[in-house]
Amino acid sequence: VTFEALLRTSVLVCTLYLLVVYGMYVWLMLVGFVETRRRLRERAGDDLDMLASTRFAPGVSIIVPAYNESIGMPDAVRSLLTIDYPDFEVIVVNDGSTDDTLAGLIDALGLVRAGASSREVVVSEPVTGYYRLPRDRRLLVVDKSNGGKADALNAGLNHCRNRYVCAVDADMVFTRTALSRAMREIVSDPAHIVGLTSFFEIAREPAKSLEDGVRFTGPDTRPIFAFQTLDYLRSFFNNRIPWARHNFMLCAAGAFQIWRRDLVDDVGGWSRDYTCEDIELTFRVHRVLRARGARYRIACLPDCVGVTEGPDTLRKLVSQRERWQRVILETCWDNRRMCFNPRYGKVGLLGLPYYLLSEIVAPVFETLALATLTASAVTGLVDWQEFALLTLLIMLANSVLTTGALLMLDLNAKTYRLSRMIRLLALMPLEMVVYRPVIAWARVKGTWRYARGDKAWHKFERNTRVKTA
Amino acid sequence: MDRGGTVALVTALIGVCWAMMILVILGGRLRRREERDQRGEVGEWALLEATAMAAPATGTVAEDRVVLLQGLQSSEPEVRAASVTALGRLGHRHEWAIDGLIEALADGYDSPVRVTAVLDDLAPRPGTRLLPLLRHPSDSVRFSAVRLLARYPSLALRHVPDATRDASSQIRAAALETLRATTSGEALRCALERLEDPHPLVRAHAVRTAGAVAGARCVALVVPALGDRSWWVRDAARETLTAAGPEVADAVLAALQDENVDMRGCAALVLQELGIEHEPVVEELARPVERILAVVEGGRREEPSRPRRVVPLVLPIAVLETA
Repeated sequence: VTFEALLRTSVLVCTLYLLVVYGMYVWLMLVGFVETRRRLRERAGDDLDMLASTRFAPGVSIIVPAYNESIGMPDAVRSLLTIDYPDFEVIVVNDGSTDDTLAGLIDALGLVRAGASSREVVVSEPVTGYYRLPRDRRLLVVDKSNGGKADALNAGLNHCRNRYVCAVDADMVFTRTALSRAMREIVSDPAHIVGLTSFFEIAREPAKSLEDGVRFTGPDTRPIFAFQTLDYLRSFFNNRIPWARHNFMLCAAGAFQIWRRDLVDDVGGWSRDYTCEDIELTFRVHRVLRARGARYRIACLPDCVGVTEGPDTLRKLVSQRERWQRVILETCWDNRRMCFNPRYGKVGLLGLPYYLLSEIVAPVFETLALATLTASAVTGLVDWQEFALLTLLIMLANSVLTTGALLMLDLNAKTYRLSRMIRLLALMPLEMVVYRPVIAWARVKGTWRYARGDKAWHKFERNTRVKTA
Repeated sequence: MDRGGTVALVTALIGVCWAMMILVILGGRLRRREERDQRGEVGEWALLEATAMAAPATGTVAEDRVVLLQGLQSSEPEVRAASVTALGRLGHRHEWAIDGLIEALADGYDSPVRVTAVLDDLAPRPGTRLLPLLRHPSDSVRFSAVRLLARYPSLALRHVPDATRDASSQIRAAALETLRATTSGEALRCALERLEDPHPLVRAHAVRTAGAVAGARCVALVVPALGDRSWWVRDAARETLTAAGPEVADAVLAALQDENVDMRGCAALVLQELGIEHEPVVEELARPVERILAVVEGGRREEPSRPRRVVPLVLPIAVLETA
């Protein structure tokens, strides 16, 4: 077997892989457009005002797990308390922070020590204290020993009093219509929608990214944020929304996920055995409900419900993405019996195979494709002109997908100023050669760490900024 | 065509595709500037919305009626939602719109939450039209009717007490919630009757209703609920007693001597919230950590032997549960 033969085989395998994966991406993008069209029609009849004022709006308990989040926490809680929704409570769970998260919250919001009791339906680390606002019963701060994010969510679940639970990230700042938009979708089909996630933006400083608590000021056009913005757009508009339409949502994003409380109780809360908790819970819900033969949906909305903090350095970005890669591997491995199993419907037949191709084996093929293309050019298997054309082809193909996501966002809500949109469009072709290699590296690192059994969170430091009072 | 030519052709095609998508985005932006905020020029829903907006001005009632009532039965959820919204707006002027909404609720044309919220917004116009819904075979419809009647205290007093004995626990709980708003002796009677209901949700509502109507006078009946086997009932009792004020302190202090650990814990919380300093309270409040540690070691505490529940995914009423 000659080197050239190996190279040719490698070219063939990589081309086939890319064609299959790209075909899936294009299909999902087209499904995303169909769903966007439906949403546009639906939006005309928006009755958010009705839902924001009726006593018939189902109650929601928002759980905010916080570990060493002293910088953004007061802003996040303030934004939650200004949400326009008639019946909600906010449960902040301080997960044994070693910084001044709790003291900062007490000072910034004027909390007082209080009493509370919990349902204790799921196990969590011991609670050491409760704090409330003197005149606003909607906020409860639970102080507990450290047990990780899933444990903090479980502690919050034990204190929930409402029909729906909304788990959010502590660094997220919310729009005032976040809950009414999300719950509007749920009340349209309450018998079947058991979970929901929604699109959110990223920024360096979320609190400064919302005008009047409603309007996103636009994406940060510094390359590291611009590329992440494009990545988020694709992951929601080209992935989650089509997944939801075909009812195989694979991951209700941890930054904003709403679930029926009784269902989360029933499946045993969030698992502490995984690096991240969001994908695993989504899969567990599918597994349990499919096994029972239940009719259900996990929905995804294209509406921006808030802004979360994105990593502002490559090191932090790699740390975040390698963690995501690990949890995908952990979840998919533990649910491998669902793969290609007709008992689990589209989740088993479409969802898991999709993850297998686009996430699990992707690091191998991405590295192989890059090496093959370079080796082919060096050995003369392809001339430099062809090399340049192939690189351009891959860049443009990727840009088509990302532009599709941007177009769907723009059809849904014109939140980006034209000048910023043009900058994003200009950066798109570069994404493949500047941003994707970093993500590929993070995935390889995540795969390696998974193989070594690493389940640590590797929390990255929050972006530096001036504390607000 | 050679390999290079093929690659060039594919690249060009994808490039053209990308350029066209960019043009669509930019074109959409330019068009948007011209048609700012004109939502929905096409589609049946737009017609319904437009009809609703125009109806008070044009008075073309007959045509509106046909379009909207047909819209309620549309296979498109967006059209049904728009029809309900439109009927809600017209309901302030036209009786037929209210009838249409009640029909939509009874026949399950659209989300019960939306239709109920719109009907609630029209109070007091629907009034006695809601009463037949109390005898509807669907739990979901009876539940909505019972809750809607909270806006009509005299009607509620006459017709809702029967619903506190409904077969559905959700409806029994909702009936107690509705009666709570009447603050009447009949509400208290129904609440006391349901304090021993087999379903915790109903017991919790019974406790809240008793507290809302009788305040501190019902302390002897509410204190035992502090030791209920369900957290929902204990929590309702705790809130009820706290809201009743310091008058209940003696009865709650006595509960600190109870052998039921939940009773003692909840009683201590009530006394703490009432600001009553008492040594046993401090001792009892220190115990939850020990109890939680025991839970961590021993797994789930509450209702350890309960059968695995089947999530009632096909019953809309399950989602309307209030606690």
